[in-house]
Amino acid sequence: MNNELTYQEAVQKYLHFPRFIILKLDLYRRGTIYSDAVEKEYGEFPGPMILRDGTSVVTAPAKKTNKKDPYTVDFHNGSLGIFYHGEYIEEIAFSPKPAFYGKKTSLGTPMEKIGMFRPQRLDIWPYRFCHYWKGGYQCKFCSINVIAKNRLKMEQGMELDPKDISETVAEALKEPGRFSIITLTGGADYEGAEPFDSELNRYIKVLQAIGENFSSKRFPSQLVCCAMSKKQLKRLYNETGILSYCPDIEVWDREKFSWICPGKDKYVGWDNWVKSMIDAVELFGPGNVCTNIVAGCEMAEPHGFRTEDEALNSTLEGAEFLAKNGVAMLALVWSPSRGSAFYGQKQPSLGYYLRLAQGLHDIRASYGVRVNTDDYKHCGNHGDSDLARLD
Amino acid sequence: MITLPEELKNILEKKETVKILGTSDKNGVPHVVLKDSMKLLDDGTLAYAEEFDSSKTSSNMVRSIWFDKLISVNIANGDTSYQITGKPLRCLITGKIFQQFLMSERKRDGGGPDIQAVWIIEPLEIKNQSRKARRDEETKKYPLYNTHLDMLKK
Repeated sequence: MNNELTYQEAVQKYLHFPRFIILKLDLYRRGTIYSDAVEKEYGEFPGPMILRDGTSVVTAPAKKTNKKDPYTVDFHNGSLGIFYHGEYIEEIAFSPKPAFYGKKTSLGTPMEKIGMFRPQRLDIWPYRFCHYWKGGYQCKFCSINVIAKNRLKMEQGMELDPKDISETVAEALKEPGRFSIITLTGGADYEGAEPFDSELNRYIKVLQAIGENFSSKRFPSQLVCCAMSKKQLKRLYNETGILSYCPDIEVWDREKFSWICPGKDKYVGWDNWVKSMIDAVELFGPGNVCTNIVAGCEMAEPHGFRTEDEALNSTLEGAEFLAKNGVAMLALVWSPSRGSAFYGQKQPSLGYYLRLAQGLHDIRASYGVRVNTDDYKHCGNHGDSDLARLD
Repeated sequence: MITLPEELKNILEKKETVKILGTSDKNGVPHVVLKDSMKLLDDGTLAYAEEFDSSKTSSNMVRSIWFDKLISVNIANGDTSYQITGKPLRCLITGKIFQQFLMSERKRDGGGPDIQAVWIIEPLEIKNQSRKARRDEETKKYPLYNTHLDMLKK
């Protein structure tokens, strides 16, 4: 990360960009490690963090991802602080663990194996294996099956029981004001009479089980999944209470999509992926159909864009096309993690991510596409949707 | 952090005290609203519950904390009035203090609002805006200024 803007330099250069979001994006880029004292107090995996303005920071500890120039979280005047090269930057806190942690379902499953938490979001991964990995079609930035191998070793299983999920959600709802949304995601499963019927059927079962806990038919929720056909989307919308549908396209450029996401290309294809999102708006409404890109991987070697400007133009062109059709594109910061095909590659600069965040936000704002299910609180992963707090 | 005078602390605790928050948007347009949940915390900061993430006050407060803009609070009870200039210090969306405000607000009037955040404000300057205090202050500074001649008539 030599010859790149540091956080302080970026704050000075981008005066109209909020420094909390600059920090968030750079924390994602560089990663964080915990001091020995913090690890001793909070454990090896203390969970998501929050900055004092309410911004979420959802990162894995850098020693697990082998980041070269991370920030450090350490104690500072009785609280926690973020440090870079020994210099104190800002206050931070760990998100409190929900009250259901430590409890078990009627099947004897620890509830923290079922539901993961962010400051206001309950995450459930009903299926933890990605079929794209069979035959080597996995997305090149992803390491989900490497994580899955570890999970198997720890006997945590690949598929969650809907009963366990329903009971965990019921317990989570007992804590007033703890959660504002439930998000489901998992590995791709293209099996079935129609490709991805198996994945759809699984999610329908799970969502119906979750839905038993709510008085309203529809409830604040998002499904991050494969791109479904119109027939499948109608089933998803009509048979469950899901509010938002989010098939992640990961990279906008058609050729790079094919290279980086060979499984998504083989089993769905770029055109069908885009069609799925646009079709879904008819059912879910504008702003309730989202797609994430793994921002930065479009520059991976050897076939990625050569310059940041080229990459940015491509992505923002896609964002505008989608926004015109009521679909929101959001960005995650690419982390070339261990176990992924892109491990060890270089990320774009901090300036790239700031320009991208501003561009994505401005495009959505100009087309009136609000992303209430993916904002600072209901997701917390996207610097671009954090900016909507000013709208 | 500056300390609030005892008179101000006392009126802050009273139910009938009026608490008003003033913020401004990116164009400097003021926005002034009642925030009757406002209270003094043990550490000397002020806190209030924000009902909507989508409100004008909410976006103005975010702008203030992001770009170091100041906000204004008026606390008034009868003839007693104080203006507090402060800065937003924290936006809590989870944790103990958030929970306390949430439960308190939800209990109001047999089923109150579902709050989205609790904002913490650090007081930077306090000005007594009570009419008598202001009159005494201005008269001392400018003895024969804010007055008409007939008020000085023999």
